[in-house]
Amino acid sequence: MPDAGRALPPAPPTVAQPSPLAAAEALGAAPELAAFQDEPPQMASGMPGKTGWLKLDFERRGERTILADLAVRAPYMAQRVLYPEPQVPDLAWLFIITTSGCVLQGDRMALDVTAGPGARAHVTTQAATKLHGMDANYATQTQTLTAAAGAYVEYLPEPLIPHRGARLVSDTRLTVAADATLLYGEILQPGRKHHRPDDVFGATLLSLAVTAQRPDGRLLFHEKLVIEPQRRPMRQTGVMDGFDVFGNVVLLTPPAAAEQVLARLDADVDHAAGIAHGACRLPNDAGLVYKVLGRETADVRARVREFWAITREVLTGEPLSPPFFWR
Amino acid sequence: MSPPAAGIARTLQFGESMFPVGGFAFSGGLESAIQKGVVVDRDTLAAYVRTALEQAAQGDGIAVIHAHRAATAGDLDTLGAIDARVFARKLSGEARTMTTRMGKKFAEMSADIVGTAPVIAWRERIAAGATPGCYPVSLAVNFAAQGLAAHDAFVVHQFGVASTILSASLRLMKVSHVDTQRMLFALLANVDADHARAATARLDDMAGFAPMAEILAAVHVKAHVRLFMN
Repeated sequence: MPDAGRALPPAPPTVAQPSPLAAAEALGAAPELAAFQDEPPQMASGMPGKTGWLKLDFERRGERTILADLAVRAPYMAQRVLYPEPQVPDLAWLFIITTSGCVLQGDRMALDVTAGPGARAHVTTQAATKLHGMDANYATQTQTLTAAAGAYVEYLPEPLIPHRGARLVSDTRLTVAADATLLYGEILQPGRKHHRPDDVFGATLLSLAVTAQRPDGRLLFHEKLVIEPQRRPMRQTGVMDGFDVFGNVVLLTPPAAAEQVLARLDADVDHAAGIAHGACRLPNDAGLVYKVLGRETADVRARVREFWAITREVLTGEPLSPPFFWR
Repeated sequence: MSPPAAGIARTLQFGESMFPVGGFAFSGGLESAIQKGVVVDRDTLAAYVRTALEQAAQGDGIAVIHAHRAATAGDLDTLGAIDARVFARKLSGEARTMTTRMGKKFAEMSADIVGTAPVIAWRERIAAGATPGCYPVSLAVNFAAQGLAAHDAFVVHQFGVASTILSASLRLMKVSHVDTQRMLFALLANVDADHARAATARLDDMAGFAPMAEILAAVHVKAHVRLFMN
């Protein structure tokens, strides 16, 4: 019900929030959330323990990229930085953990990743992000990722699994210098596919926005996906067709590198193999967007990994390491 | 301001599918959809057009309404900002080609035919390379300049989305004129509800979700034989 008669949310609890969390709270004003402004009977929205904040600042120091600054607030946690790839010994890996194990109604999460000039980092999550079922309120997350001059950043979290009735509004801002590279990829599962039949596309609302800009604020591209499976059939022709899992990868990189990556990719819709994928050039010479649809998560992951491996080779001149045996 | 009957005539003139802005060169991704077995019959064609209409109603259609407001207020800078936002949402090169070619041609024709100051100013902005000139914005500038309602511009835009794909379908698959006209009749039944939603939306609310349509655009770029430009 847009605007007319919208119930005002109850006064938020008076807890001092760092400014990124104020942005996460402000996402609640999105019109797609108008019907979900009630407070959870459990812990109220935005309370300590429900306001995750993680700030990761990577900087180049001599031969390595180090984590120069870290700010963390539960349920976010960060593991120590690792350097697992000998062919790119300076490239820092960091695994994000969420101690609550899932995203709950009333959660407000803010992630802020910055790579300084020449820094190289890979950020990922330890496990899939489970969005629990919701019967009151909603969850929001803001993500800001910044790559300064000459920086190389990969943010490839494990898949998002929205449970039945989940509501999430996510706003991602990517800021990238003209000679920097930022690889951002999400995989969205339809739900707990083999749990119950109505878990497939059982989420109530997923609103996923990505905006990319230059450091001077010049807009590169904007995408806002509003997914409401109860209102619009997901298997409709042109939407998901017969597929269940969606991969969305953005590569912000200078045009010459983007062309090299694009030349090595094919694009196809293969109903028999259960996979469809293809890359397009983003507007304003921003780079590429790569979309994948699959029936199973593993097939989509394989395609995203292929895109990642090509990107790695083109941008660093080194091959991507084989997958960890435990992932 | 056009008198009422002339207003209807001009809405038809600028809204009909044969208005020469080159729409016939585009299939809205249908060519790939047929080649890849995504659209195989009348039912899947109708569903494909429905998806395109839903995407337009939540996306470019909102831009039509905002651009109509800005044009009515004579605010060229806001029009430019809306145009940049529409362009930044077109994630495939073919989608950008379609909207800027048709938008530029529509602005040129509008300046030549309507000939009032706002449509000429908009054509000059595009010609100077100061703005991409996306189709929804050029359409809104024309309608506002003639005193035709934003609602009518929205309807004409939705009609154009459907008729572009349906007229391409006649050349690409086994479907009759009666079939496509029947689909057009049925699919545009929701246009008032779509307009009501778009009319209260913020420009930031432009959204969509049609990953298969975007993958088909990527497939089309790599295809060897192409009849249409998208």
